[in-house]
Amino acid sequence: MTVLAVRAGLLLVVLGLWETVGRASNPLLAVPPSAVLPALRDLLLLRSYPDLPANVLLTLREIAAAYALAVVAGLACGFALGFHWLIGRAWGPMLAALYAVPAVVWYPSLMLFFGLDAASKIAFGFLLGFFPVTLAVLAGIRQVNPHLVTVARAYGAGSLTVFVRVMVPAMLFTLVGGLRTALALAVVGVIVGEVLGSKRGMGALINHAYGLLRTADYVALVLVTLALVVGSDVVASLVERRARRWNE
Amino acid sequence: MTAPARLIAVESVSKRYVTSSGPVEALHDVSLTVSEGEFCTLIGPSGCGKSTLLGMLGGLVYPESGRILVDARPVTGPDPGRAATVFQDPGLFPWRTVLENVEFGLELAGSAAARRRSIATALLGPLGLKGFAEKYPRELSGGMKQRVAIGRALAIDAKILLMDEPFGALDEQTRVLMGEWLLDIWRRTRKTVIFVTHSLHEALFLSTRIAVMTARPGRIKSVLELPMDYPRSMESPELVALRAKLWGEIREESLRAMQ
Ligand SMILES: Nc1ncnc2c1ncn2[C@@H]1O[C@H](COP(=O)(O)OP(=O)(O)O)[C@@H](O)[C@H]1O
Ligand SMILES: [Mg+2]
Repeated sequence: MTVLAVRAGLLLVVLGLWETVGRASNPLLAVPPSAVLPALRDLLLLRSYPDLPANVLLTLREIAAAYALAVVAGLACGFALGFHWLIGRAWGPMLAALYAVPAVVWYPSLMLFFGLDAASKIAFGFLLGFFPVTLAVLAGIRQVNPHLVTVARAYGAGSLTVFVRVMVPAMLFTLVGGLRTALALAVVGVIVGEVLGSKRGMGALINHAYGLLRTADYVALVLVTLALVVGSDVVASLVERRARRWNE
Repeated sequence: MTAPARLIAVESVSKRYVTSSGPVEALHDVSLTVSEGEFCTLIGPSGCGKSTLLGMLGGLVYPESGRILVDARPVTGPDPGRAATVFQDPGLFPWRTVLENVEFGLELAGSAAARRRSIATALLGPLGLKGFAEKYPRELSGGMKQRVAIGRALAIDAKILLMDEPFGALDEQTRVLMGEWLLDIWRRTRKTVIFVTHSLHEALFLSTRIAVMTARPGRIKSVLELPMDYPRSMESPELVALRAKLWGEIREESLRAMQ
């Protein structure tokens, strides 16, 4: 309750500051909330950008594709590195080194490779989402208490049963944490990809409004994007909490 | 009256572990037989191979030579149908409730959900865990956790219960109470128990037989029979005498183990 009140207070302060500063500055560059609201209304009523739904849909589809690929490849890679001693030793350090490179440096080559359309955005979202999944699998495997594996074996569990009944539940929280981070990063990857070079999608609309100095529309578009991101993260955090029911 | 059937036969078993600092001979030519319904305790200095022997009986460790028969069949791997193990670390699954932990073995054995639930629920009373069915392990005390682990072993209803210092991590008072509780459970279920402990009190209070092991490499040094009735008074002249004898044997081996 008090947390909500404090949060609302902070929001009001930020909006107040924004309004004052916005009114005092160059209207081409800074827009106060009072100017964003009408722009947001026009946007949502499809007056300023009638093709908003198609673009939102495209962005969501790109995110879904990037995320699905990142999860599948990340899980496969993580388990291969974690379970196979030789693969882990040979490739683990290389993976860590790759992860340390700011991913955005790969984007130009992704565009050359995959073109300016959806594929390069999906590839970039994938690239950002892949590492957190892989690393979460590796961290999760290290977290499994070997004694619990012994206990399960004493009760007759074979490798598959040990994996399903012991490894997966023991790793679940870490894994879901990684999946959540991956989702957030896949979203970032796709949208940044669109902003950096695309004709369609939310990022492209943002770029368009920004390029034409339609600042109020630009802010309204950013707010819609933000809602997308926050919405997906709320869902992910609910899943995460469920995965840790036993350790509330 | 016919003699109780031999349920477990350990026949000249030896075991060496290969470690980075060379081979360690854990057990050397160990033989032991245990009859149905016995409470047989293994006692001996740390590192003398008690856990190794228990692991072999449970099929988790393989003998290097010799063989182990349980129910007249050689042990080739874990077989929860024959023996259930309780470890010093209860090893409860933290993501499972008390009831779900007790059900674990039944679940692996493929028993139906309703049947599992009723078996596990019926055990909660004797385990002293009524009202804790839906709790998670981290909400339990050490003694309760170990009772859940024992419940998990009892649930699959194997003839043999292998217990490796099950109360070793508990404080002295809890430990004594858990011993009394286990005695009661054992007398009601008539399981055959192989029990590892460091506590003379526990050994004398519970066992029908105590096998004293030598310092590493472990061998059976001597076997004491305890024909007294339960519950036992530790002040009875017989037990006082036995205690002195047992301590003499263990002391010698512990001194050797310290050198
Ligand atoms: N997995 C293993 N690898 C190497 N050495 C082991 C292993 N398990 C036990 N040992 C060694 O074998 C000896 C007997 O161990 P253990 O059976 O655990 O004894 P106890 O339970 O009587 O303390 C010890 O010296 C121990 O260090
Ligand atoms: Mg031990």
